[in-house]
Amino acid sequence: MTVTEQRPAEIVPRQPASAGREGWIRRAPLLPALIFTIIVTQLPFLFTIYYSLQSWNLVRPGSAQFVGLDNYVKVFTDSQFRGVAVNTVVLTAGAVLISMVLGLAFALLLDRQFRGRGFVRTLLITPFLITPVAAALLWKTVLFDPTYGLINFVLSPFGAGQTDWISAFPLTSVMVALVWQWTPFMMLLTLAGLQSQPHDVLEAARVDGAGSFAIFREVTLPHLRRFIELGIVLGAIYLVNTFDAIYMMTQGGPGTASANLPFYIYQRAFLGFDIGQSAAMGVVVVIATIIVSTFALRLIFRSFQTEEG
Amino acid sequence: MADVVFDQASRVYTAGAKPAVNRLDLEIAEGEFVVLVGPSGSGKSTALRMLAGLEEIDDGEIRIGGRNMVGVPSRDRDIAMVFQNYALYPNKTVGDNMAFPLKMRGVDKATQQEKVRAAADILGLTDYLDRKPKALSGGQRQRVAMGRAIVREPQVFLMDEPLSNLDAKMRVSTRTEIAAMQRRLGVTTVYVTHDQVEAMTMGDRVALLADGKLQQFDTPADLYDKPANAFVAGFIGSPAMNLFTLPVSAEGVRIGSSELRLPREVQSRISGDRVTLGIRPEQWGVANGDGGASAGGVKAQVDVVEELGSDAYLYAHLDDDAQTAVVVRTAGRSGARRGDQIVLTPTSDELHLFDPESGDRL
Ligand SMILES: Nc1ncnc2c1ncn2[C@@H]1O[C@H](COP(=O)(O)OP(=O)(O)OP(=O)(O)O)[C@@H](O)[C@H]1O
Ligand SMILES: [Mg+2]
Repeated sequence: MTVTEQRPAEIVPRQPASAGREGWIRRAPLLPALIFTIIVTQLPFLFTIYYSLQSWNLVRPGSAQFVGLDNYVKVFTDSQFRGVAVNTVVLTAGAVLISMVLGLAFALLLDRQFRGRGFVRTLLITPFLITPVAAALLWKTVLFDPTYGLINFVLSPFGAGQTDWISAFPLTSVMVALVWQWTPFMMLLTLAGLQSQPHDVLEAARVDGAGSFAIFREVTLPHLRRFIELGIVLGAIYLVNTFDAIYMMTQGGPGTASANLPFYIYQRAFLGFDIGQSAAMGVVVVIATIIVSTFALRLIFRSFQTEEG
Repeated sequence: MADVVFDQASRVYTAGAKPAVNRLDLEIAEGEFVVLVGPSGSGKSTALRMLAGLEEIDDGEIRIGGRNMVGVPSRDRDIAMVFQNYALYPNKTVGDNMAFPLKMRGVDKATQQEKVRAAADILGLTDYLDRKPKALSGGQRQRVAMGRAIVREPQVFLMDEPLSNLDAKMRVSTRTEIAAMQRRLGVTTVYVTHDQVEAMTMGDRVALLADGKLQQFDTPADLYDKPANAFVAGFIGSPAMNLFTLPVSAEGVRIGSSELRLPREVQSRISGDRVTLGIRPEQWGVANGDGGASAGGVKAQVDVVEELGSDAYLYAHLDDDAQTAVVVRTAGRSGARRGDQIVLTPTSDELHLFDPESGDRL
């Protein structure tokens, strides 16, 4: 009789090899980067929380004193803060959505064959390559300026060349500049999506009787969904932090009509010198952003999970 | 249902280049199952896509039910197509995939449901109607693609190598299913394949293309028995027909040192002093070569024996200067070995003679 080796009745997963000591040996080289990240992101945040519990005017040395949650109460009763928060949402959502729609339209045009396609594509990408500050300056002086601006120049034959665009529509003006810069990004993203679409599916739709619009709605748009979601999330993450365009074009004015949260906090800290108050706003904004971006990230991951096969 | 006519239809992809489909003439009757077959790059897919409206008809005409299709977009041709990679809509469920052509034609929801259900019944897809194509096996996807084509009851079915992504066994069973379904529905069908077995078993008639030109359009039996030229003869049949270009002698043709006698009736069709002779592997009689060359036979030496059970193929070379390769079919387990000397004699009167220059049948 042969003796077969006794195996345990239950099958348990094998321990991964990298458990314990060996795992730390592998992770150790990453530690400096982790420590650096903690120093430059987490420590400042802790300091900010500390400052947010103080009343401290920057121009009066020694004025710092502990005031508890006083600053936070002021933040939530500050109607300007609420207005600026609304501005931030309008500016971010507006710029992202409009640039996505325009970007998609340009991508659809670029997805077909025509002469000079490479040249047109380069031209359309250019706004994205320009430094944001320079772009804002360009819009402010070259295009929107009431006296020298190209827009008024073009409109003047129609008798409508007198508007001071930036004072009349400050938030919209900033949004236009942002849309101009971000459309190429959305275009590139959706163009990649369009070009990764299998040809035979489009042909099948044609044979099945779909016209151009039906193909776009029934086949192309579902395929592009995750590219569009990715563009919206990335765009929102960048644009919620917009500072340069507002600083260059409107300084948040008139009043706070075109200020967003980062700009308003900057104003309160370095023009109003109220460190405690602005630190409290910063903390509130960070927490709100974390909540929103958690949902946003979940959106990204969900769209990658429900990918097509 | 409608008849389909290719009338000198041509397609040139780039101006000045050789046409991918060159003056193709086909008349396909109502309800007929026609297979387009040919080597890779011969223009089969192009011809089918011209019929589907996915490629321009650069010259000539294609008519469906008597209506000229030049300039008519795909969606107005009332055709259904099955693609090689199935081309299912990845974001739609199986049911929605199959309902899509109906939806695009404005059929109401209830009728859509009813027709999809009926098609799913035929194809055994009822349990999968709510799944996405990603969650199906290759064979199931293939059936969804078939289902999407049949729900609409089109004038013409077009299929471009619909079985090439299936394994060998599935291919054989699906082949018969498709053929049976086509007979039952009676819809005119054009089917592209590079597999001659599919072509011979499925088609009422087979059109063989090479280099964008039609070589022969006939029933499978005629294609096999009466190949119109040496290309058709070599393409149809597996293993391929043996083709030799030989000098003509008084009583037959000369191969190396031996003379191959030909029946008088065959002999009389030769005009020049050389001729291309075609002999199928099963048209040889094999004798043991040790006893010396028997009258009218050709000596050969066996290189490889392929034993298939029911029969065996001998791959041999002739006893001539060029050591011409030859394939012979014999009964299974004949005991032939590598290195054996054999004598081959044509057993059939149905030998094929072709003009050595043009390749045309004599
Ligand atoms: N889009 C295209 N542009 C240019 N030439 C093409 C194009 N599609 C096909 N061709 C050429 O046309 C000829 C016929 O191609 P086709 O696809 O019809 O061949 P096929 O018979 O279907 O071959 P296979 O069995 O490999 O699918 C080939 O020489 C091919 O290179
Ligand atoms: Mg092909």
